[in-house]
Formats: sequence, structure tokens, C-alpha cells
Amino acid sequence: MAAHPVRRPGQQGAGTVTSGIAAKLGLLLAVVGVLASGLTGYYAYDISRGQLVQSAKNELLTSTQGLARRIALTRDEFSRNLLVLARHPAAVSALQKPNPAQEEQLATLFKLLMEANPGYFQVRLIAATDSGMERVRVDRDGTQLLRITGDDLQEKGHFPYVSDTLKLPAGGIYLSRIVINHERGAHAGQEQPTVRLATPVTDRQGQVLGALIINIDLNSTFSLLAADLPKDIQLFLANRNGDFLIHPDSTQSFGFDKGRRVLVQDEFPATRDLLDSKIDQAVFETAQGRYAAAPVVAAFVSSKARAFDDESKVILGLAQPLSVIVAQADRLGLAILQIVGGFCLACILLAAFVARAVTRPINSLSSAAQHFAKGHEIVGLPVNRKDEIGVLARSFSQMHDQIKQQLAALKDGQDNLEHLALHDMLTGLPNRRLFQERMEQAVERGRRSGEGFALLFIDLDNFKDINDQWGHEAGDAALKEIAQRLAAATRKVDTVARLGGDEFVVLLNNPADRGQIASIARQLLDCMRSPIPFGPLSMRVSFSIGIAQHPEDGDTASGIVSSADHAMYLAKTDGRNSFRFCSGDTVSDPLVD
Amino acid sequence: MIKVLRSLLVLSGCLFAMAGGAYASDALRVLAWPGYADPDLVKVFEQRTGSTVEVTTVDSDDALWQKIRNNKAQDFDVFAVNTAELQRYIAEGLVIPINTTGVRRIATQLPRFRNVKSIPGLVHDGKVFAIPYTYSEMGLIYDRQQVKEAPTSIRALWDPRFKGKVLLYNSGTHNFSLAAQVLGGTTPFQLAEKQWPAAVQQLIALRRNALAFYTQPDESVELFKNKKAALLFANYGSQQLQLLKAAGVDVGYAIPKEGALAWLDCWAITRGARNPELAEAWISYLLEKEPGNALVTRQGLANTTSESPNLRSEDKFKWLEPVEDVDRRNLLWQRILSGDRASKVLAP
Repeated sequence: MAAHPVRRPGQQGAGTVTSGIAAKLGLLLAVVGVLASGLTGYYAYDISRGQLVQSAKNELLTSTQGLARRIALTRDEFSRNLLVLARHPAAVSALQKPNPAQEEQLATLFKLLMEANPGYFQVRLIAATDSGMERVRVDRDGTQLLRITGDDLQEKGHFPYVSDTLKLPAGGIYLSRIVINHERGAHAGQEQPTVRLATPVTDRQGQVLGALIINIDLNSTFSLLAADLPKDIQLFLANRNGDFLIHPDSTQSFGFDKGRRVLVQDEFPATRDLLDSKIDQAVFETAQGRYAAAPVVAAFVSSKARAFDDESKVILGLAQPLSVIVAQADRLGLAILQIVGGFCLACILLAAFVARAVTRPINSLSSAAQHFAKGHEIVGLPVNRKDEIGVLARSFSQMHDQIKQQLAALKDGQDNLEHLALHDMLTGLPNRRLFQERMEQAVERGRRSGEGFALLFIDLDNFKDINDQWGHEAGDAALKEIAQRLAAATRKVDTVARLGGDEFVVLLNNPADRGQIASIARQLLDCMRSPIPFGPLSMRVSFSIGIAQHPEDGDTASGIVSSADHAMYLAKTDGRNSFRFCSGDTVSDPLVD
Repeated sequence: MIKVLRSLLVLSGCLFAMAGGAYASDALRVLAWPGYADPDLVKVFEQRTGSTVEVTTVDSDDALWQKIRNNKAQDFDVFAVNTAELQRYIAEGLVIPINTTGVRRIATQLPRFRNVKSIPGLVHDGKVFAIPYTYSEMGLIYDRQQVKEAPTSIRALWDPRFKGKVLLYNSGTHNFSLAAQVLGGTTPFQLAEKQWPAAVQQLIALRRNALAFYTQPDESVELFKNKKAALLFANYGSQQLQLLKAAGVDVGYAIPKEGALAWLDCWAITRGARNPELAEAWISYLLEKEPGNALVTRQGLANTTSESPNLRSEDKFKWLEPVEDVDRRNLLWQRILSGDRASKVLAP
């Protein structure tokens, strides 16, 4: 018996999957993977960029501090030059009394020094007397060095760089404010940013006789100092009030000299604390004002000179376009992007693989279930797996076996019931119901094919005696033995049935002729000649047989049965232990005991 | 509620924009002296008119002259200039007459300033070329610790007792006037040809007595205090007096018997003014109480709407007048300042 798949109305086929686990799981894994690598990449970039900017800041600060040190060193070197000149005997004697030879010697010395130092505009020996009259003076004029003499020498006592220097002790260094030199006749240095370095000249008694002054070209000195800085780095210099002295945009420097101050603290508010001496250095990024379009990273330091001076402090700064620094980070970003892309692809592939690996056994389970539902044998369950899928497969397999067993048991029970319904409990022969079915079939077959059959109606002759004499157990034993003998004496195609009590019937399909029927009837009678043993007893049983034939003796099953019953009755009245046909010649074969 | 407030804001914004609309998108280019256009005062004007004000400061008449004459007065709209200096601007046509009805606050000025005809040089051909704004006499400031008796004469600047302790103003025009006052004469503003060598000698002598020459008030205060000056020729007058007092220096103030040079600064409108009405509004605004008070309290200057506390009845003043030859005075002065001797200074 086949088990049919159960299908409820309106339910989709069990095999239809509209939104599979594989797709969901794969998508989830892919999203997690892409997110993880994307976020890792982003933060890696962000942190690297921050570190790059930070390291650029540090580098810039180091450069600025380095530049400040170089400036200090240069200043020291200039100061040493100044002191060498100031201590030269010719300087002292030129100031003590007019001495052309000494002046000439000193002028030569000045020229030598100026040749060695292109940043010197002017070197002068100025007297403390005569309102600060210049005694020896060499000016730079283009490529030439000019010794200024006679009426061209000027009185400078009203300038603080003279009056202040003259107040210094021997060896003291005066550093002037950085200004535009408006002094007429200064040649190359006129109208140029200038810083003056000066020291007093003293005699042996420590009496201040005059001052030695070097005018330094701010721009050329600084561009020399900053020459080894990268090209994209901008240099700033401001005085202690914040006025720009050097600015990449030259219109912004020396604003105070043009009546419009331009201040470092306005352009870079972060330098305000530097000016207030609250901090020594400031490193920052700015995108304000003129840097809105091109932000810069800048480092500023305050540089203090150890000198008796007006310009005790200057603010030095370097700035680098942020774009230059970030370009490095962008290259890194690109590399990270490529790596992230690779990882994302790998994640997607891995996700697809994992999704397949997880869903394949589930699919095999579900196809097994479908197979099972269709009644087929299930094969290929992943029962050997050690994981949850394996447990599920094994459970499924067990369940499958159990259902199979239960179905087999159910079938057996059903078969038994069916057998019981159609067979006689005592003898195991077909009962009246089955016999009637067979009769109907035989009648039907006869009507269709013209095939005939014969019905032998058998009734025991002395069964009541056996029951009365030896009890019902003996009767039952006799009936059983009779049933066996009847079955043994007939062909397999024939039906032997017990209709009830001591009535049996034999249905002979397609007998050849009356003679054959009679022969079988005789055989049946013969099979009862030997006694039936029952314990120590031996019972003798005989019966009478009525024979009816189809279609001769009736069209219908009941008609045939009735005819055979009638013939049996006749045989019984004839004298028992014989058979009799319903119609035609009555062949009797009386038994002789 | 918030919606109502927001629409009110928008409405008031619109009204304000309409009120300021006349000047909107205009930039007023102001050329002024330190303290004349402080940022907070400028801001009020900007907010009121919706304009932007770009202030440039000058610290000398020469710088002012250069800036205005450069580019034929096209770089600025309005500037502050003293009455003497004004004359060369008028002569060169660098300034235009002012529509006084546009400067409504004139009505609040003291009568002697309101009556512009009484002030030499303001009116030409019946047209007003400048509006008086502030004034100061150039007195002598002295350190009361070093100078026990208040100086009475301008000659104190040459006094050898103060050698190397005199602070002077870096200006050819004024310094030649000082020299002329010492030399004596009818007016310090007109040097006769034969007076020049003597004036140069005087100024070389002055240079030899000088501690330093300053240009800005702050600079003078710093020099005075740090270098222990004894005497200061105060080009900025009581403005410097106030600054020095604020810096804790014990100073006195004297008006020399020869008469202190005194300047009257006025606002004038340039030929290149893009928006004369806005310039007139600027001048009128500065005659208001707040800017007027700021002049007195912050700068120690006088304004033209109230009597000055620094003026005394016995003080004599020499109101600045145009000088005979500004360029010559300046050229010679530059030579003097650079340390040249008389022969070099007077060389052609």
C-alpha cells in the first residue's frame, strides 16, 4: 500500500522557497564582513591621517625650533664678529683721536667682514662724542662695498641703537628692533628691513668711546637661513607686538611702517598666547581668513635673544599647506581602500561559501523529507555529521524508521482484520461473505466470457450426532479436519468455503464437463472415508453434495446457491453420502461403508 | 509662539535691510589718525548703515599726503586732515565740497566750530571743504621728577640740561615751524629764504639734544617711560598727556610762551569718494555724543561739541597754517634726521 503525500487545500508545495536561508545568511555574512572591513579601513585611514598631520606638526615644530636655533647661532656669530671688531686696537685708537691710518685699517677689516657676510648692509664705528658721529663706515651698494668718508659721514646719536649701546658695559650686545631703514644715504640698506647689532667700544679703563654697529639685511639673512626648508613651507616672522616682519605676502610685512598694522595674532589667533608669553610654542591647523581656501598647518615659537636690546622677543613661524601633508594620507587612503575592497570581495565569497555549506545539509534534509512524503525511500541524509545538522539528520532518520515500522504494523493489523472479515474463524476457510463475493465474480465472469462454473453444496449427514455424542469440541475438530480435507481435495483455483454450521460449498471454476464435476464430487466423498481421529476416539463423517451449474441452473449467484441447496436436499433424501446434480442426469455414487 | 517670533525677526530684518539699503553693499574707505575710528565705534556705524568700513591709520601729515595723492585720491573716501594741510588738498583738487545739510550733527557743534567761515582755510568760494572734528595744541610734556620747574619757552627743547633726554616728533613741517618760532618772526609757517640756514642749524642743534624721534603716540609713551626722557614735544597734545598718565608717569604739561602750535583736524571727502552721502553720514555720526566722548575719555583729545578741559584762557596757540614749501621742509628734515651736517643738509 502506498502512502500518499498529505496536501492541505491552499498550501504551497513544500519545495517552494521564496526567501531562502542561504540568501539571508549570505547577505548577513556579506554585510557584516563588508561593514567590518570598511569600518576598519575607515578608522585605519582616520587614525593614520591624524598621525600624519600630527607628525607633520611635530616635524614643522622641529623645523621651526631648528630655524630659531640657527637664527640664534647666526646672531651669536654676528655678535662674535662685532666683538672682534670692537676689541680691535684700531677701533679704540680711531675713536681716541682722528687717525687716518687706523681708520683705513678698520675700513679694510669692515670690507673683509662684509665680503664674508653678504647679509651685512653696513658696518660702522660711531663715536660717543660729537653727537654720535660716524668715524668709519662701509656701506654695501649693489655688488660694491663703499667706504663713506668726509661730509657723507653722519651723526647718529639721536638713534636709540646708538644711545642705548653707549649705555652698555663692555662686551654687551645691543639688538635693535627690526625696522625699515629710512636713513638717507644708507645705500643698499635704505628702505630695507634692517636689524642692527651693536656693541660699545671701550678703552682699557672701561670708558665707552663709541659703538660698533652692523646693519643686517633681514630678508637675505633669513632666506639664507631658511634655504634648506622645503619649497612649500612658508616663513613668518613677527615682532613682540605681533607686527609681521616677514610674510609670504610681502605686502603684509612691516604694516606698521605703512600706517596699517598687520598682526600675527589676527592672522593666527593661536599665537596670541605666544605673544603674551603664556606659551613658548604653538602648533595648529588653520582654515581661517586667507587660509580658507588652502588650510595650513603652522608652528610658531617665540625666540628670545640674550642681549640688551629693544627686540627682546620675536615670533618665528613656519606653515605648510595641509594639502601637501594630506596628499600622503590620501595615498595611504587609496592603499587602504584597495585592501578593503579585496577584503570585501573575500567576505562576499566566504559568505556565499558558508551559506552554501550551512544550507546544503538543510536542503538534503528537506529533499529527504519531500521524498519520504512522496513515499520514496530516503537516501543521502547527512547522519554522519558531528554537528547539529547531524543530530537533526539522525533524529529525522530515526523518526523515518519509526514511522515505517508503525505503518507496517498498521498494515498487518488491517490485513488481519480483512482476513477475519472474510474467513471462517474455526476452519480458516472463506466465509459466506467471501464466498458470495467470489460467486458474484464468477457470475460476472461467466456473463462476460461465457465461462461456466459449478457449485457443490455440501452438508454433513450426521454432524448433530457427533455434537451430541462427544461434545462441541469434537464437532469443532471434525469441522476443522473436514475443511482441511476438502481444501486438499480441490484445486487451488477452486474455492472451498464454510457457510456456517455444517454447511460447506465448493466453487469449481470452468469445469470441463459434468464428468469432471462428478469426479471431483466423488473425490470429495472419498476423502471422508477415513475416520477423523479425536483423542482416543475415531469419528466417522459423511456428507451429501448438491451440484448446480452456471448458467444451466441459474443466472444469479443466489439462484445457483438455491439450486445447489435443492440438489443437496435431494441427495440427502436419496440416502446420504452421495451427490446429485440439480438438473439432467442425476449421477449418484452412493457410498458403501 | 516660535513661529510668531521668527516671522517678527524676519520682518525686522527686512525693515533693517530697507533702512540700511541706501548704503548697503558699500564699503567706506576711511583714512584716519590713531584713535579716530576705534573698532567699536566703526561697528556701530556699520550696523546702522549696513556698510563696511575699512580704516587705515596714518601717523604723519606726509604719510597722509602720500596716501591721498597716490592714485589721485581714488583709494579713499573720507579722511581726517588738519586745516593747514587741507589747503594743498584743495589746491590739487583732491577733495570735494561737502553738502553740509548731509552732515546733520553740525547743528550740535560749538559756535566757534559751527561758524566755519571764522576758521581759516575751511571755506573756499563759499563752499565748505571740511568739517571740524577734533583739535589739540602741541604743548610740552615734562617729567616732573627731572624737570622741577615747568618749561615756559619752546627753547627748553634745546636746553643742554636735557641733552639726550628730549623726545621729538618726526615731522619736517612742524619741526621747521618750531625752529622758526625760536628764530622769531611774524609767522612760523613762512620761512624767508635767508632764514633757512639758521633754521637748519637750529634743527641740527635740536637733533643733537634729542633722545629720539617718534611718530606714534604709543611709541612716544614707550620711549618716554623706558628711556627716562625729561621733555617731550607733544605733537598729539593732551592725547599723549593722558597716555603717559595712564602709564604711571608723573608728567606735567606746559604751553610755551611763544604759543603752542595747534592743529584742528577736520573730516574731508575725497574726489574719489564712491558714495559721498555715506561719507557725510560717517562725519555726522562722529559728531554724535558717543564718538565725541570717546575722543575725550580715550584719547584725551577735545571734540567740537563740548568745551575742552585742557584749554586755559591764558594759553597762546599758533593755529597751523600751510607752510611755504612742504617738500623742501621734508627733504631737509630727512637729511637732518639721517644725521647729515648743515652743509649736506643745505646742499641742493
